Amino acid sequence: MPEPWELGAEEIAQRVAARELSAAEVVASALDRTARVEPLVAAYLAVYDEEARAAAAELDSRLAAGEPAGRLAGVPIVLKDNLSLAGKPLTCGSKILAGYVAPYTATAVERLLAEGAVVLGRANMDEFAMGSSTENSAYAKTRNPWDLARVPGGSSGGPAAAVAAGSAALGFGSDTGGSVRQPAALCGVVGVKPTWGRVSRYGLVAFASSTDQIGPVARGVRDAALALSVVAGPDPRDSTCAARPGEDYLAGIEEGVRGLRVGILREVDPGALAPAAQRNWSASLELLARAGAEPVEVSVPSLGAAIAVYYVIATSEASANLARFDGVRYGRRAEAESLLDLYLRSRSEGFGAEVKRRIMLGTFALSSGYYEAYYGRARGVLEGMRRQVEAAFQEVDLLVTPTAPGGAFALGEKVDDPLAMYLSDIFTTPASLLGLPAVAVPSGADDEGLPLSLQIMGRPFDEATVFRAARAFEREAGWRVAPAFRGAEAAPAPAG
Amino acid sequence: MPLTLDEVRKIASLARLRLSPEEESLFAGQLGAIVDYIGQLAHYETIDPPPAAAPAPEAADIPQPSLPRELFLANAPSALDGLLLVPGVMGSGDA
Repeated sequence: MPEPWELGAEEIAQRVAARELSAAEVVASALDRTARVEPLVAAYLAVYDEEARAAAAELDSRLAAGEPAGRLAGVPIVLKDNLSLAGKPLTCGSKILAGYVAPYTATAVERLLAEGAVVLGRANMDEFAMGSSTENSAYAKTRNPWDLARVPGGSSGGPAAAVAAGSAALGFGSDTGGSVRQPAALCGVVGVKPTWGRVSRYGLVAFASSTDQIGPVARGVRDAALALSVVAGPDPRDSTCAARPGEDYLAGIEEGVRGLRVGILREVDPGALAPAAQRNWSASLELLARAGAEPVEVSVPSLGAAIAVYYVIATSEASANLARFDGVRYGRRAEAESLLDLYLRSRSEGFGAEVKRRIMLGTFALSSGYYEAYYGRARGVLEGMRRQVEAAFQEVDLLVTPTAPGGAFALGEKVDDPLAMYLSDIFTTPASLLGLPAVAVPSGADDEGLPLSLQIMGRPFDEATVFRAARAFEREAGWRVAPAFRGAEAAPAPAG
Repeated sequence: MPLTLDEVRKIASLARLRLSPEEESLFAGQLGAIVDYIGQLAHYETIDPPPAAAPAPEAADIPQPSLPRELFLANAPSALDGLLLVPGVMGSGDA
């Protein structure tokens, strides 16, 4: 009989609704697991022990009184520290927001709470979601549960590590250039970047508004689909959120991939992958074909420009979005004698190196004399890429790539080389720039037992087909989320 | 090619950042390498994008009550009588 923390979100909600299991038991089990794995992984910035137990007990009494159970009844979840929960600190992994308390709750989080989810805590992240390893957090170094000497990926490394380690059944992060998918890949779990406009961003701290999306992390595709079904849909408080109603992504998820045309991008250079990732990529394509998908080679000649385009557009938007952190309305304020001095000192003392670098890069790309050559050019190349991808989607239903070029890298390995770090986003940035839905699904392990991942992208708002393919792939691949905690003196028991 | 220290200082000033001398030289090298990498965009096809415009709000624009002012001011580093306090724009003595 598995412990409650080992169960997936869908099963927890079903059993809590059927009163076979109480929310209090589930949350107690998840908190116990958290207490055991957290000293090794450091995924959380804060664990809400008492509040989580109280929320679970309250849910149990409401269910006992005959109230209907929500779709996530009793499911322990963890939130990236850029998603607002009223009354709780929100730091975005940055010193500049130390002491800030969220005055309201994000729409996505409200929807999770309304369906009975219980928030276990807020999770670590790269400062302002800028990074691919979570090493840019001002507060903690999160470790990969499969190998504690390695990064969990980023920027949503906290939620991904927490879910992989068995502490929470679901995690929620934001994905701007791969920040849910890449850590999900490196931690061996499922990560979703929905279509731009699919999920309300009210209450999410903005990084690059033309690509930011909230997405779930889960230990299986069905749980990820359930999680997105809960948070997706229109929100009058976010005018960039699409008016399309939400969907039940579990409805057709078991239909398989037979007859689906899956596009394989000619521009994905297997030589750019680590050797084990290269073998895994070929095996993943074979597996999709075995499941009945029809592989079709397609070409997006501008794919290789994605990183360059992304780091111009995202940093430009970040330089504008982060102008609000000036020490006036909230967050850290430095002692200063004039207003200008206050801006300069608050920002310089409050932001870490990567955030400064990106604000600088974006300011440069938007500055007089450089705007056309950088920002203008990047938008032009992106438009070319958009046309090429639209043409590809005339031929195919889905596009697939590896999620990351290899397994998790070592802590410290890329921290002094920002460009090398940026290149870990090579496969995830295109879906971000083009607003496409994409799911990262575990595809096996490399020679050192580190997880690898397949990325499946779809047409805008066609999450249903992406989930269907991811589920078929998951069934064939037979992956188990059972991290080894390599490097720990006494590793906690894996899931059964 | 690294950026010059003057370029780095000019960008920092536009970005409202004050960098230490160590940061200036570090960023000169790192930003130079990134800008060189971005230079590859010259080799790709470009198509003029549609004019940038904010997406039309899809929801009706109906006035709603907002959260109480005190809730927001609770996060302010310095406030008085419902207003934010800042040092004088012109320098010391005006605050």
